[in-house]
Amino acid sequence: MKAQRLLLSVLLGTLPSTSALLSVARAETPDPAEAEYYKITTFPTPPGTALEVSSVEFLPDGRVAMGTRRGEVWIASNAQNATNAGVWNPKEMKYEADPAAPAKNSVIYQRFAEGQHEILGLATKDGWLYATNRYEVLRMKDETGAGKATRFETVCDKWGVSGDYHEYSFGSRFDKNGDLWVLACLTGSFSSKTPFRGWALRVKPDGTMVPTCSGVRSPGGVGFDADGEVYYTDNQGPWHGACTLQHLIPGSFQGHPGGNQWYDLAPNMGPRPVEPNDASRMVLERERVKELVPPAVYMVYGPGKIGNSSTAVVCDLSAGKFGPFAKQIFIPDQSHSNISRVYLETVNGVKQGVVFPFLKGLRSGPIGARMGSDGKFFVGGSDRGWGAKGGQPFAFERVDWTGKVPFEVHEMHAKPDGFELTFTEPVDPVTAGNPASYSAREFTYIYQAKYGSPEVDDVWPKIEKIDVAKDGKSVRLKFDVLTKGHIHELHLDGVRSAKGSPVLHPVAYYTLNEIPAK
Amino acid sequence: MNFLRPILFSGVLATAASLLGVPSPLQAQEPVEITLKTLTAQMKFELNELVISPGAKVKLNFENPDDMPHNVVFCQPGTDVVQLVTKMLEKPEEAMKNNFLPEDPKVWLKSRLLNPHEKQVIEFTAPTKPGNYPYVCSFPGHAATMQGVLRVLGEGPKLQDLKFALYHGDWKNLPDFSTLTPHRTGEVPGNLVQLNFDDYKNQYGLVFTGKLNVPANAEYTFYCASDDGCRITVGEERVLNNDGIHPASIKESKKKLKKGEYPVKIEYFQAAGGAELYVGWKSDAFDTTALSSWTPPNWKKGVEQKTNEFVGMPLEPKDGPLIYRNFIAGTGNRSIGVGFPGGLNFAWSAETMNLSMAWKGAFIDAARHWKNRGGGHQPPAGFDVVRPSDMAPPFAVLDAPGAVWPSFVADQPLEGYAWKGYQLDAKGVPSFNYVWNGVEVEDRLEAKGDFKSGGTLVRTLTLKGKIPEKAFLLLSQKSKLTPADKGFAVQGEKLNLTGTNYPNQLLIRAEGATISGDALLVPARKQIQITYAWPESHPASHTPLAQ
Repeated sequence: MKAQRLLLSVLLGTLPSTSALLSVARAETPDPAEAEYYKITTFPTPPGTALEVSSVEFLPDGRVAMGTRRGEVWIASNAQNATNAGVWNPKEMKYEADPAAPAKNSVIYQRFAEGQHEILGLATKDGWLYATNRYEVLRMKDETGAGKATRFETVCDKWGVSGDYHEYSFGSRFDKNGDLWVLACLTGSFSSKTPFRGWALRVKPDGTMVPTCSGVRSPGGVGFDADGEVYYTDNQGPWHGACTLQHLIPGSFQGHPGGNQWYDLAPNMGPRPVEPNDASRMVLERERVKELVPPAVYMVYGPGKIGNSSTAVVCDLSAGKFGPFAKQIFIPDQSHSNISRVYLETVNGVKQGVVFPFLKGLRSGPIGARMGSDGKFFVGGSDRGWGAKGGQPFAFERVDWTGKVPFEVHEMHAKPDGFELTFTEPVDPVTAGNPASYSAREFTYIYQAKYGSPEVDDVWPKIEKIDVAKDGKSVRLKFDVLTKGHIHELHLDGVRSAKGSPVLHPVAYYTLNEIPAK
Repeated sequence: MNFLRPILFSGVLATAASLLGVPSPLQAQEPVEITLKTLTAQMKFELNELVISPGAKVKLNFENPDDMPHNVVFCQPGTDVVQLVTKMLEKPEEAMKNNFLPEDPKVWLKSRLLNPHEKQVIEFTAPTKPGNYPYVCSFPGHAATMQGVLRVLGEGPKLQDLKFALYHGDWKNLPDFSTLTPHRTGEVPGNLVQLNFDDYKNQYGLVFTGKLNVPANAEYTFYCASDDGCRITVGEERVLNNDGIHPASIKESKKKLKKGEYPVKIEYFQAAGGAELYVGWKSDAFDTTALSSWTPPNWKKGVEQKTNEFVGMPLEPKDGPLIYRNFIAGTGNRSIGVGFPGGLNFAWSAETMNLSMAWKGAFIDAARHWKNRGGGHQPPAGFDVVRPSDMAPPFAVLDAPGAVWPSFVADQPLEGYAWKGYQLDAKGVPSFNYVWNGVEVEDRLEAKGDFKSGGTLVRTLTLKGKIPEKAFLLLSQKSKLTPADKGFAVQGEKLNLTGTNYPNQLLIRAEGATISGDALLVPARKQIQITYAWPESHPASHTPLAQ
């Protein structure tokens, strides 16, 4: 969630009667080309509430727990198998099920808890459901077996809350060390009025809080890669030219200096980093500010690109049950109502990688998301206060792989003189070997205190040489120039698969923090 | 290019338009209908601002869905309505005989005293003099929160010395008229912007110049609707630019202007098809005033009735207590609101570890937090709000007599305390847990009875562990304390929440409670039971009144 999105949404929020009307005009529907490979099922929602899903977690028995912006926890049974889709009823403000649909094909909802102060993180451990609200991590449990939480225990409440609406607190699941991460948004998403606003915090199993990374601006979600490394998404704004996926290395500075006064309260973090220079470049400031970790991936901003409001960090640990992208990371976007796909690699010790469009046409503004080891990808959200292309105020949805493999770039690897692309299907060597099938551009953002940044410092590289592997599964591109710190935008409009298909999403944005030596 | 118009103006709020008295010749006989409702268990009117035109015929539907009697009394501008009611109650016998309707020259219109769930239709003619006419419920104890303003808004100044220059040309955007020679020029009859100078239907332009008298330093809203492009310049400033070829739809822009006379320039061009031009303005002190002869059909000619966007999602405890953790005005930032079905409510603070506030009637409206982005602190929806201990921690060791009770500083850790959470019992009643210097404390509050029939909040604190010597629990501070009715009448500090003053009076009973200066204390022990009751501020409010 981020400040300064669509002004329209403010209007929509205040006039629910007209919003439904306008929504229809704005709504973006699923793309039939994508639907052949990934199907979106939008579920009916329970009556009497707005299911503004802001966090998703699986219970040990597979049921899906959802925290909402209204502070409720709903538990959905049969969500993995349900096929009955809901139809939006603007009058009743809910998705309605077909009353004739058999119950065995429906999601069954149960309200487990209510009245919490907005739940942007859920996790499970030892029979407890952990939740992150505005100002604390708590854990809840049903002690009577009636299906409702009766005990709400405070785990950690050591970060501040000033009463500002934008001080969102996103919570993770348990990391590989058994800690929970809390990403505390800046006050108003600009400054830090109260301790540790603008920080990543770790909550140890005993409830103690460890300030872990500074420089956070306005997070949208937090999650892990396949190795258990921790990442969060941040949003375009001051010191953020675009939305980003950022690697949370303990002790690091993530780029926005607005909360750095709290180094005084975090002796474990060492001295306060030097201030970044305004109107500079990330690649230059990395040289000056040794704690500064560059964004692993820029989620390139703007219509028709990647997104405007990145949220959850969802790693595919389904080992192929969600299709060919095992171990890759999927990131929904609240305002574009889409999901993007990220492949990461480590170069010179720094995380970096590429983002591709993946799937559009979610019904609302996705915030919470989680994929099971069975490849069932649950995503829910709300457009309240910002607006979303999906057009509807909230939604709970499942994305399923249909079993068909789309022709896509699978991975993109940085090389000393260009990139190596792998594909999900063998390529046609003629089109894949033709430089006219590609176009490339390199650009970056201004690293500045002003809100956002245009794309600047354009470089137009030439693709000098192309080698298509014998098996057709990879292509090596030699560029005449690579630019450290730039986003390398590559279009593959002319590339065809061996079967003659174009690439489903023929664009890649690679953030080249480091150029490998070999 | 006018085929879109019926759709474009259908979005204008029909209700707002119908609320506004427009004494045009055609509508003179049609009264303007206004509905004014009381809010259930909130001691408020639904609308605290009504807007009508001078001299308009009005049909007022006054509805009282509340469980208490209410009236509405309209007064002359400048009337202090609370003082008016206070003065009436100086003669309580007479006031009761008059059903608490003041006989006062300041009152120009009043309803009956409506019993719960009654309605009354009142027809009246609005004052001809523009101004702010306050209205109030004059039933005892209601005036502080049940009030509003009827705004009678006249029209604002019109253009003066209006001249036109007519040009010929085929444009897609407004040209630079200063480089063109006009076809003809002249004065505009009636000083209203209009298009019918010649028989030209297409491909012409007009530049109007005149003067506008800005009556005061204030913010003004300018409107235009044009088919095709237009641009409005006031003084040196371009206030609206609606260039290009398009059907007429309302554009608006707000400008702060200083009092004085300003030159005004209105540029317009017509390509082909429909041709329309509307120009208007308004301020807080006058209603929307057309500066053109044409006004879009259905365009609201006045100010919308102000509805509060922070109302409309009341949380009603029905089957059991309801919990609402959010920003509740007057209770800090880590507040846990609890409402009971009987209309008794409180907020407990996970910052001060203490009961922070209690109130009667409706629980809370979630609209502020559940519509839009959810900013700000929401005051209780009910009334008789009390805050006895004024955001202070519950326990302290007082070694010396007259020692100062520790205070709470927002966003500073509360020394010696740790917040542990809460649990719900079988009825859904929460008990709050915290540790104070090694002592485990459970704090439970439950409503007994109904707010309409003397209901109370019963609080039980259970302490486990070694209780320090000379430890006390704070029941109230900064208060006037009078022994009364097996307990203490507590008059707390003046409590103002988002513009509303509350009497902050209650009765506290607890075994062993003692007065210490302006504080009410009870020695800390293993179990402490406290009863909170409200003094009866509305002695006649719960019995139906004679008509």
